[in-house]
Amino acid sequence: MSGEHDLSTAPELRARLHELGETSAIIIDLDETTFVDSSILGVLVGGLRRARERDVPFGLVLGDQAHPAIRRIFELTGLHEVFPIFATRAEAQAGLSEGEPA
Amino acid sequence: MSGRTADVALVVPAVPDSIAVIRQTVSGVCEALGADPRVIGDVKLAATEACTNVVLHAYAGTGDGSIELDASAEGDELLLLVRDHGAGMTPAPMGEGLGLGLPLIAALTSSLTIVEADGGGTEVSMTFALHDHPTEP
Repeated sequence: MSGEHDLSTAPELRARLHELGETSAIIIDLDETTFVDSSILGVLVGGLRRARERDVPFGLVLGDQAHPAIRRIFELTGLHEVFPIFATRAEAQAGLSEGEPA
Repeated sequence: MSGRTADVALVVPAVPDSIAVIRQTVSGVCEALGADPRVIGDVKLAATEACTNVVLHAYAGTGDGSIELDASAEGDELLLLVRDHGAGMTPAPMGEGLGLGLPLIAALTSSLTIVEADGGGTEVSMTFALHDHPTEP
């Protein structure tokens, strides 16, 4: 995901996550994302819930260079403790394939 | 910054695409006032959440309506008013949303007031300190 995302882009993200239903793992890279709101958090939580129901590993990439606004909304809402969060895509792929709780 | 003021008023349709317009407007106001980067992020998020509430709830079922934004600053404080003339405050229906909008706004603002707008609807009043004031060591 890159750029800013809110209620206007939430339906597209939700649809894309639905399309990934039977994949081996879902990794959403937020390093190029500069803004998300609670609409997007709702979509991500819904995606995590569906992934868990299907035993599909689900993780987020939020590295050191991630936009401070992204870190802030996850910390304000406590969702940084809900999602498996990795510093890089490679770490996410390795961590999720090693059985990191989805 | 003491005594400096800036006033911006904007009226946009209450549709999802308008939210980015509001967000870029308040971001521009903050930058013009020399706000700290963290504060700019907080103002953008709070304004977005307030406008999202309008789009989702104020005019539900009517298909039209507007979002009114007023921004003004005095001293180190920014005041944002987000106003609609819709259905007013009602219990939110259970949907896919997390119900985080108002709690987020409360966490991001120095003060938050929600009142019935003149002529009906809802007015959300939010204030922000434009600069961080780190605690003295």
